[in-house]
Amino acid sequence: MSAGLLILIKFTLLSGIVLMYVALGGCFSEHSGVINIALEGVMVIGALFGILTLCVLPKSLPGFLIVTISIFVAMLSGIIYSSLLAFASINLKADQTIGGTALNILATAIALVVVKRYNNVINPGSQSPKLTYDNSLFLFKVGPLTLNVFIVLGLILLIASYLVLYKTKFGLHLRACGEHPQAADSVGINVYKMRWAGVLISGGLAGIGGMAYIVPSVQIWNFEVGVGGMGFLALAVMIFGKWHPGYIFLGSLFFAIFKSLANIYDSTFLANFHLTKEIYNMMPFIASLIVLMFTSKNSKAPKAEGIPYDKGMR
Amino acid sequence: MADYVIEMLGISKFFPGIKANDNITLQLKRGEIHALLGENGAGKSTLMSVLFGLYQPDEGVIKKDGKVVKINNPNDANDLKIGMVHQHFKLVECYTVLENIILGVEPNTAGFLKLSETREKIINLSNKYGLKIDPDAVVENITVGMQQRVEILKMLYRDNDILIFDEPTAVLTPQEIDELMLIMKKLASEGKSILFISHKLSEIMSVANRCSVLRKGKYIGTVDIKDTTPEDLSTMMVGRKVNLQLEKKEAAPSETVLDVDNLTVSSSSSKKDVVKDVSFNVRRGEIVCIAGIEGNGQTELVQAITGLMKHKNGTIKLCGNDITNDSIRERSKKGISHIPEDRHKHGLVLDYNLAQNMVLQKYREPEFQKFGFIKFDAIKKYAQRLIKQFDVRSGQGVDTIVRSMSGGNQQKAIIAREIDKDPELLIAVQPTRGLDVGAIEYIHKAIIEQRDAGKAVLLVSLELDEVMNLSDRILVMYEGELVGEFKSSEVTTEQLGLFMTGAKKDKVSKEATK
Amino acid sequence: MKKCVAIASSLVCIILGLLFGLIFLVCLSPADSIESGFKPLIMSGLDSAFNPILMEAGSNLIKVGQTIAEATPIIMTGLSVAFAFKMGLFNIGAAGQYTLGALGALYFALVLHCPWYICLLAATLFGAVWGMIPGLLKAFLNINEVISCIMLNWIGLYAVNTIIYGNGKSAMYNSSQSKAYTVADVNPDSLIPSNLFGIDLTQFFAYKAANISLLFVIIIAVVILVVLNFTTFGYELKACGLNKDAAKYAGINEKRNIVLAMLISGALAGFGAGLFYLSGTAQWNPQDSTALPAAGFDGITVALLGLLNPIGCIFSGLFISHIKVGGTMMVQSIFPSEISEVITGLIVYLCAFTPIIQEKITKFMFKSKRGTQPDANSVSSDDNDIDNDNIDDNDKEDK
Repeated sequence: MSAGLLILIKFTLLSGIVLMYVALGGCFSEHSGVINIALEGVMVIGALFGILTLCVLPKSLPGFLIVTISIFVAMLSGIIYSSLLAFASINLKADQTIGGTALNILATAIALVVVKRYNNVINPGSQSPKLTYDNSLFLFKVGPLTLNVFIVLGLILLIASYLVLYKTKFGLHLRACGEHPQAADSVGINVYKMRWAGVLISGGLAGIGGMAYIVPSVQIWNFEVGVGGMGFLALAVMIFGKWHPGYIFLGSLFFAIFKSLANIYDSTFLANFHLTKEIYNMMPFIASLIVLMFTSKNSKAPKAEGIPYDKGMR
Repeated sequence: MADYVIEMLGISKFFPGIKANDNITLQLKRGEIHALLGENGAGKSTLMSVLFGLYQPDEGVIKKDGKVVKINNPNDANDLKIGMVHQHFKLVECYTVLENIILGVEPNTAGFLKLSETREKIINLSNKYGLKIDPDAVVENITVGMQQRVEILKMLYRDNDILIFDEPTAVLTPQEIDELMLIMKKLASEGKSILFISHKLSEIMSVANRCSVLRKGKYIGTVDIKDTTPEDLSTMMVGRKVNLQLEKKEAAPSETVLDVDNLTVSSSSSKKDVVKDVSFNVRRGEIVCIAGIEGNGQTELVQAITGLMKHKNGTIKLCGNDITNDSIRERSKKGISHIPEDRHKHGLVLDYNLAQNMVLQKYREPEFQKFGFIKFDAIKKYAQRLIKQFDVRSGQGVDTIVRSMSGGNQQKAIIAREIDKDPELLIAVQPTRGLDVGAIEYIHKAIIEQRDAGKAVLLVSLELDEVMNLSDRILVMYEGELVGEFKSSEVTTEQLGLFMTGAKKDKVSKEATK
Repeated sequence: MKKCVAIASSLVCIILGLLFGLIFLVCLSPADSIESGFKPLIMSGLDSAFNPILMEAGSNLIKVGQTIAEATPIIMTGLSVAFAFKMGLFNIGAAGQYTLGALGALYFALVLHCPWYICLLAATLFGAVWGMIPGLLKAFLNINEVISCIMLNWIGLYAVNTIIYGNGKSAMYNSSQSKAYTVADVNPDSLIPSNLFGIDLTQFFAYKAANISLLFVIIIAVVILVVLNFTTFGYELKACGLNKDAAKYAGINEKRNIVLAMLISGALAGFGAGLFYLSGTAQWNPQDSTALPAAGFDGITVALLGLLNPIGCIFSGLFISHIKVGGTMMVQSIFPSEISEVITGLIVYLCAFTPIIQEKITKFMFKSKRGTQPDANSVSSDDNDIDNDNIDDNDKEDK
């Protein structure tokens, strides 16, 4: 039983931290007034380029550098990719949901093309959609628990997010743009700039989140799978977490428990129920639907989210 | 030269299809209260947006202290010490008063906010000018009056010298208006220069030193208040003599049409009761008006009567039939017509054409459909008759997409549709909001005609002038309760104001009117 | 006039999408980008239709047949998305409804051995139920349909996989191939007929999955067009979509319409799945548990590119299918077939700008009307090209 508990904690931490990164990302974007439904796609792109960097960097480099550079690349690629959403929804005032959906479709396709092409160059004739890499540099042990650098980084970013959103000038401006952009504009805040900032920050966080989802748990990844809906779950976590970093942290752990059931069911007492893995895979999604049923009535969503800001319309 | 702090010379601003401002000149002296008078749509707000840097003028220059300046955005305006209280407040509702005041000019160390020193400064300012506020209250929980004080403090906190007030009295009670007038005078005596935008002559007469008048985007002239009369001003504003007093006969109410008993309505967002145990009736041949400050439950009361909102307790009867649990469509069929508060939100499908909007509640009548297929010809003919009868003007007749029509004509279309239903009860909520004098006169006449034709009319209005002019009986609503009932001939706006702020309360029961 | 601008804007999306696709190909391998990449991608087998050698062998129309067969399900999901859009709902759940539709079709065909029309009906019904759920959630609990649809997509996928796999013991699961059985192997009666006016389409195209489904799709598109534009139900739906507050004010039962619109939308997606899985070649892979069927998301592309017009969806569906088939015809070792998905993704992205593109085109046309008109002409001639393209496809089918 205690062994079961240990792996439950392990997997909960693994996916909880991922959900937290991405939900925090969504939180920044939505506080600025842009619904970022492209989080799933941004995760894929972040993971893709982060892992590619990991594969390409020479093994002779110091481990610390490899880890830092590849995480940085994941973040940067997430930022660049989310700039497509920012451009569409802020400058061109496109429908944010459609734009985001397009980026989700695009991300998996780009990932597959790039991975297949990469494998073909490394190993002519191969058309594998999988990347193989070494994740040992990212892991470390504390007592019986195997942890990873993403957990440490995530906790730092969690606190930073809280401070930035609620204790700084930047945060006050950002949230004003999501609540009442006209008011922000009238006191000289550049709404477009703040929304760009919100979306790019969300891209960076989701990019790291994508890498954090894949790298610590396995050493080979099939990009046909994308990130398996984690980006969407993170949206539910964000709603559940009332757009606030503290609650988001709790929410992501709550959802992560459901998520990890699929990983631990066969080695714990759950095995007695003879349910398939698929049933457990369903759990977090069902949980999020149920949560939404109870939270949708009094939502704390930023009031102006999803509405393109047009300087001419007052 | 230096007499004028701000000069706007030959300002023009064009939007696709309209000249919002056409060669307008406005000169503001130091320490004066300068009124800017004009009808809705005359271009006052556009002109002020130009001054505040929200729009760039297509022609003309702005001078500050005799020097030409360029105001590209609100930041530039702020640097020139120009501040503005917007008609629709620009406050972030989930922020505290304090956060709203400092938004955009936050004192900070390395990006981190420093709130404690600011608090001092704001409290001092608020004491100095008698602007009572609670710095830690969240804006969505404070009264409209306090929100306005927050807006004024925003300007003072930024040390602005030129203060623009855009229709500041529209949302206030008579007492609050008096208070605001005092504050404005105090600010002027401290050397601030004030631009006061309004279409209410009495306020301008009582507070302003000079007044500039705009009409249909054009500059008409500037006059000294002490040399002018309200009649002169109104002639300048409208371009013709206006009959400020409506002509109407004494009401001759007969049997009860609408009978509301102990109605309670809960807000859909919070669980609070927004209409509390309200009872009243409306009889054939009378106009009953619900007066009150915005947000005291009038909207919800009307929506409960029309079925748009669910009620919690009580009964609603129409001509003796209980309609409490009827659907919106059933109520409409039984004879309720509703001119809604927000014509864009509820009254019209803006992207449908005029003909489709004219049958918004009637498309299911056999007249307009067969086996679920719409009879387009019949709808077109019907709409053509209505727009002729009610003089609704539009570019392409019944095929005009409603979005492209003027506000006045959109409202006329709704009124045509609602009156043509030949209702028992006509409910009109702020039927003249944002319209020019011509349209207002037309609509007032139409409502009185309906009364004289023996309909029961329930009017909800925030404009006390309209309330006094139009209604036969006035019910005052405060925090969801009816707190006073008057015959319109026997009450003054000041008295109404006391009831509207809850300073006085009577228990209203129907027995009084029976 | 307005329609022309709208169509032109869709063509601009297509052209830009293809252009970016070409750039992508050049990035991957500049030397081969045209011959082994772009040309097969956009020709997608049309060039071989008149190849005398292939005509001799009777296999000249295989790719055309494949394009049509693979177009029908995505036209249906496109109609599904477009229909919900008219009501102001973004049905991103077409993928899930499609998944459930597939289960309905396969269960009735492989387990119950029903005739094809019953299977098709089952697919429609399953899809309808799955579409109705987000509709109910939206109407009665005010849950954003986008979020609930996404969740239901995954729930549906895992549920369907569980049922079809059935721990390896399900009657639908062929353990030797680790996939579901094909309908053709188990119960040919459940296949949609391929005989149209005495012509056997399977033989005509020499493509196994060719059948009469395009005919159904066209009929359904026309029915939807009529419902939307000529009935009180359509009037209500569009009123709700354009302004739900005004619709409520008018006494329209918005909740009922939301549920109904989502139900119909789901039914259309489910029907699409039925068409695909009852065509003979398709196999469900329950082990491939983390990929939602692409047809659901292609539906979004089809609907937006087809300007949310049912007839437009037919053309855009054929086009998207055309590009997808083209994707598989590139030299795969250099250019993975997913490049066509990149292009469709780009097209959706560009479709989000449609209002701005339309505005630019309108300005552009006004300018060129005053001066010479070569540019406006070139736009309209492109228009003809694409239309001819599609009409050609239809002609061939009819022969």
